[in-house]
Amino acid sequence: MKKALRMFFRKAVWLAFVTLVSGLLGATLVRFAPGYGVDERELDPRLSQASVEALRSQHQQSANLLSYYGKYLAAAARGDLGTSESTRRPISELIHERFPFTARTVFLAMVCAWSLALGLAILGQIFRGWVFEVSSTLLSGFLLALPSTVIALLFVYFRAPVFLAIACVTFPKLFRFIHNLFVQAYAQPHVLAARARGIGPIRIFLRHVLSFATPPLFALAGISLSLAFGAAIPIEALTDSPGIGQLAWYAAINRDLPLVVNLTLLVTLVTVAGNSLADYSGRLTARAS
Amino acid sequence: MSSPKSLRLAAAIILSAIFLIALAAGFVAPYSYAKQFRDAPLATPSGAHLFGTDALGRDEFSRLLYGSRVSLLLAPTAALLSTCIAGVLGGVAGFRGGWWGKAILASADLLMALPVLFVLIALRAALPLDVAPFISTMATFLILSLLGWPSSLRVVWAAARNIRNSDFLLLARSNGSSPTRIILRQVLPNLRPVLAAQFWVTIPVFILAEATLSMLGLGVMEPLPSWGNLMRGLENSSVLHANPWTIAPLVLLIIVVSCFQFILPAREDLS
Repeated sequence: MKKALRMFFRKAVWLAFVTLVSGLLGATLVRFAPGYGVDERELDPRLSQASVEALRSQHQQSANLLSYYGKYLAAAARGDLGTSESTRRPISELIHERFPFTARTVFLAMVCAWSLALGLAILGQIFRGWVFEVSSTLLSGFLLALPSTVIALLFVYFRAPVFLAIACVTFPKLFRFIHNLFVQAYAQPHVLAARARGIGPIRIFLRHVLSFATPPLFALAGISLSLAFGAAIPIEALTDSPGIGQLAWYAAINRDLPLVVNLTLLVTLVTVAGNSLADYSGRLTARAS
Repeated sequence: MSSPKSLRLAAAIILSAIFLIALAAGFVAPYSYAKQFRDAPLATPSGAHLFGTDALGRDEFSRLLYGSRVSLLLAPTAALLSTCIAGVLGGVAGFRGGWWGKAILASADLLMALPVLFVLIALRAALPLDVAPFISTMATFLILSLLGWPSSLRVVWAAARNIRNSDFLLLARSNGSSPTRIILRQVLPNLRPVLAAQFWVTIPVFILAEATLSMLGLGVMEPLPSWGNLMRGLENSSVLHANPWTIAPLVLLIIVVSCFQFILPAREDLS
């Protein structure tokens, strides 16, 4: 119990560290990007010299990176993530509007991709043979060779749900890993011994293969979350879906750095939390078994 | 899932042929990639234009050849840079260990924890988008190589640590070999298979990343062609119906990435 708590504490510290460092990197990106501090309003002839000076001094205040980051963190703690430069709307409002869509889509995509990958990998172990091996390798290889943008376009043509497109991007990577993991598990001496003793395939799979494969599968669950969020950008952008992936693309096209950095931070937080949780659960399961 | 030797050989031959044609784009292509035939926009395939023309009247076949050159030359270059970074940092972390090693591994873990495409887009967005095509191309591949090293680093680090603890290195040290000689004669030759594998694994990843970024309008900028921005033609289904050759860059990309999957060294060959 004490060890589990210590592990949980370590994961929480790592999460906080990653978030803080990513925030600092994001702030550095915004601060040192070409064009920072240039305000088009300075060119407005209706503004007096005093107003222009006031604008410049406002920019000067955020010239120091650390003070800029400090102010950003203080505001973020109050729920104020700043204003989007392209839409002129509060970033927290934009995230609040769009995050639920992406979260739902990514969740459904992960359920689909995991079911398909696990199902096929298990079938592959039950019906061992070159037909299954070749066909599954070809299918996953073909999907791996397609850019996610092309998969998105295919789904636009066929008017299929967006989550299936994300599942198609995530599935081949999951399948290859799970398949290799099961092959490795079946090659373990204790599994070979169990097979030699004539224990049934289902019992071997449930008692020996799954116990070997569960901790890495938990770790893979965390990684697949990151994969699915990454795939959401091109897919939501090309399928015109109102999620944060499309918002990130829109922000990048318009060089809306505060928005793109906040979105990156949010997705980092979600994926690192997911990874840590998956890793933590995997280690607890390994210890229990 | 390693592929048979004959399949790997076939994949290597196909890949070499595509590379050679792409390299010779300047001689093989009938026109320049930017030359416009204003009287023939969206022309169907003919003797003058093998794959037809795009909406701006540019020869699709010539653009495909030049685009292949951009994608196929710069992705390996970026992969080489990325592998070199992973080699140097992984080598230092594996050999020196201590705080240096911990710091390098922590920074790699940190980078791997970030969602790659989001970071890629954030970095690309930080640079001006309306720059010369050459600069946009260099920026895209440079960003790819600067973000692509952490996954290779872990592998190189593990290999370097094994070498550090090996008997032959102990023997070399006890013989009084200088650190430079040890690195050049003992360490690098033993790290070479790992580095080569990482290099080959990274190339298709970078080709696909460039295609994704360029299709989103954040990669290689017009008028310079690349597979990614050539595939933007697929967005318009009417153009695709009128001229099925619009799909050629995608077919070529699938062939190349699949060939890379086949020729990647099998895991057992590395150990």
